[in-house]
Amino acid sequence: MALIDQVILFVVDLLALFAVYLIISTGLNMQQGITGIPNFGILFAVAGGAYITGGLSTRLAVILLGIQTNLDPISENIAVLQLVNPILRSQPPTAVVLLILFLMIGGMAGALMGLISSAPAVRLREDYLAITLLAFGEILNVVGIGYKPLIGGPIGVNVPDIFGWAGSYRFYLATLVLLLVAIAIYAFAGYIIKTPFGRTLKAIRDNEIVARSLGKNITQYRTSVILFGSLLCGMAGSLWVLYSGAVTPTYARFDWTFLPWLMILLGGIGSNRGVLVGSLTFVTLNKLIIYYKFEFVGILPFDIVWLNYLLLGIITILILIYRPEGIVQEKWTDPKQNLGAADKPT
Amino acid sequence: MGKLLQVKDVKKSFGNLRALDGVTLNVEEKTVTILIGPNGSGKTTLINVITGFQKPDEGHIHYGSTEITSWSPQQIYRTGIARTFQIPSMFGKLPVLENLLVAEKNNPGESFRKSLLKKLWAKHERDAIEKASRILQLLGLSEQRNTLASRLSGGQMKLVEIGRALMSDANLYLLDEPVSGVNPTLAHEIFARIIGLREQFGITFFIVEHRLDIALKYVDYVNAMASGRLIADGTPEQVINDPKVIEAYLGA
Amino acid sequence: MELVTLSTIFGWLTYSAFLSLMAVGITLLFRTTKVANFAHASFVTVGAYVTYTLTVTLSPNPYVGVPVAFVLVGVLALLQFYAILEPMRKRNSSTVMLMIATLSFDIMMLGVVNIHADYLTSTFAVPARNILLSESDFKFMGQPGILFVALGTLALCSAALYMLLNFTTLGIALRASMENSSLSEAIGINVSKMLAISWFIAGGLAGIAGSLIPMWTMVNPNTGTLLIASMFCASIVGGLEEIYGAILGGFLLGLVDVVGTSILASHVAPWVTLYEPVIPLLVLSGTVILAPRGLAGVHLRRGRSWHL
Repeated sequence: MALIDQVILFVVDLLALFAVYLIISTGLNMQQGITGIPNFGILFAVAGGAYITGGLSTRLAVILLGIQTNLDPISENIAVLQLVNPILRSQPPTAVVLLILFLMIGGMAGALMGLISSAPAVRLREDYLAITLLAFGEILNVVGIGYKPLIGGPIGVNVPDIFGWAGSYRFYLATLVLLLVAIAIYAFAGYIIKTPFGRTLKAIRDNEIVARSLGKNITQYRTSVILFGSLLCGMAGSLWVLYSGAVTPTYARFDWTFLPWLMILLGGIGSNRGVLVGSLTFVTLNKLIIYYKFEFVGILPFDIVWLNYLLLGIITILILIYRPEGIVQEKWTDPKQNLGAADKPT
Repeated sequence: MGKLLQVKDVKKSFGNLRALDGVTLNVEEKTVTILIGPNGSGKTTLINVITGFQKPDEGHIHYGSTEITSWSPQQIYRTGIARTFQIPSMFGKLPVLENLLVAEKNNPGESFRKSLLKKLWAKHERDAIEKASRILQLLGLSEQRNTLASRLSGGQMKLVEIGRALMSDANLYLLDEPVSGVNPTLAHEIFARIIGLREQFGITFFIVEHRLDIALKYVDYVNAMASGRLIADGTPEQVINDPKVIEAYLGA
Repeated sequence: MELVTLSTIFGWLTYSAFLSLMAVGITLLFRTTKVANFAHASFVTVGAYVTYTLTVTLSPNPYVGVPVAFVLVGVLALLQFYAILEPMRKRNSSTVMLMIATLSFDIMMLGVVNIHADYLTSTFAVPARNILLSESDFKFMGQPGILFVALGTLALCSAALYMLLNFTTLGIALRASMENSSLSEAIGINVSKMLAISWFIAGGLAGIAGSLIPMWTMVNPNTGTLLIASMFCASIVGGLEEIYGAILGGFLLGLVDVVGTSILASHVAPWVTLYEPVIPLLVLSGTVILAPRGLAGVHLRRGRSWHL
């Protein structure tokens, strides 16, 4: 394969991963950066969206495409998909509809996970909260491995080929879709932060007691934000599964809890623009390391991916000690400018 | 004139410490009352209990004809009672203007659903910004409008506290040492404004205050506390010369 | 109760001994530095691999690793304290930042352990994952030796800790630092050194627990990670501020976990055991919502609180 093709493929894949992480980091930033809720268990929501998509998508495709079969979508996954995919490839509109459907389901699953974890979350002190959420994050993998009908146990299952109708442009299409969704979400979050709702979230973050004295219903706000953030994480998980074409119960804390935290830390907690910077930086770094790991096989007596753990751990600690505000500072605009033309003087 | 705030026999203990030992006092409508007392007499605890941050062990509190004894701070605020904190508490990472804007009641933009459509909240927001700007001017903080609250001086933070209370359009203001750390000229100005607000809008003030040198000439009534109890109340002349009060301050 | 066999009881006791050793460290760190140390997971894993490495290189006796793990992991904890915690404490970092820092250190250690495991395999041609050393264990009264060693070690360590804290000058200085660090500083106690010592002890205890684990269950680089929720749960159940409460918490959680799983597996179906990791999470969530101060909160709602 020519070098330019390799580079293009690398970049396209990187952008897809970036899109997924941008969505997750945006959701995490809304919770921690804007509202001060340290969600150490976003893995829970991401895996939730991923598992639901993996578990239900084939079944839903069968139903919606009107395929008559007695095969089980999970245990006889490959066989069922051989019936599903050809139809999908020839009907782009249906594929789009399914995509939207799966995204919604993934988002709802994520939100559900958020709801479950928000019960302890809204009332707890930060450290208790972090511990509990961290523990929650581990649960789904246990269930995913143990309960075969969910996503086929340890080997996982494939999902319908949503982007297959683009033929040889499948990867480009997939990445484009992911990027569009990510940018839309990112822009939406940016808007919300500038509304009075966003301002109230920041107030709750900065001083809960005073916010309470000013009539704000703290629990309600926190729940809303956790739900919203978790919904985003669920969608991200769903997108990732659809992009990869399969789901396995190997969603690790490192990838889906630690890395997003590192991204918002680097970017600058609270800053939406920082989320962009942080996500791009670490996705690129991570991908480069994984890409080049094969160069090191034989030279080093261990898998270079572990060095990645060391490197990223050190970077995080350095940021925490020497630059906890991150690279990009929290930005604000004068509220008068936010109003724009939407308000007409009477 | 009616009794706007009635505190009846309120008791509050923290473990073995009796912070409030049966406090009974009344605040008349449209008056300016200050609450004095040595440190540890329970003044801030009383404010906390009235505003719902602590629940009293015994006793009742009425606002007008409504009982508000076990109300949450949110309910208290919405019903028209505003408070400030003794130690100025800011929203540190928000600019001064936005600190005030948070205090605005019933801004539709604060609901997630309504915030999605800018048209639903733009007008209210604009009005709120006008109001906040005027209050900032009144307090001499217009220059600090876009400064992050955490960068203010102690005295400036005190002013923001007051500004936030003013945003609330409340009927009853419970101020906890509003002018401590503020220079005397400005302190006098603030008290003058408080009187002005009372004259113009009929707002009632209940103020915890140590700076008798400044406050005394502006107030209608003085309540004095010691050891969790009300030991005197009446006009400034009456209370200042009350032997119990003198003893509480000097006896300790 | 015929479902609760003797072996279940011994399983409970062994597991609880481990949990207690780990939870005591967590509580100790929480009381002294006010931080939830997620890196405790790695402390345990490192301890386990110390034992394994020694059996591969030096001596087939699996208990040789115990004192070595104590020292090594203790030093590791000191490293975490001086390199990460102290600088952040001096900069008044927030609780959340401190937690991310400990999580990051955990991630780093995870990398190190994995690298070491790969290194063992490539250098000594031995498996370094899924290791179980129970065959090297001795038997006493028909039961695996680990039962007695674990319980005995717990008893020994608890006694030693108690004597240290109550009968030595160092211990009293340590307790003073825990109760009131600014006052202790003012009367000349080197609080920073006291904190460092508590980290060494906490790490050492986790290392000991880790060094014994290969005798009881299969060990992998992610062993600590799998146990972290249980460690915190035991600590919280016992009351995050009560050092000996952690022991009680360990035994309570162990009871619910081991015996509970066993009963469920017999009554309902064997596949229940696959979901066993959910139990500590449920206990954790329940405790945290209903009785956040753990046993200390439930017992004595009014009146004096239960202290060291």
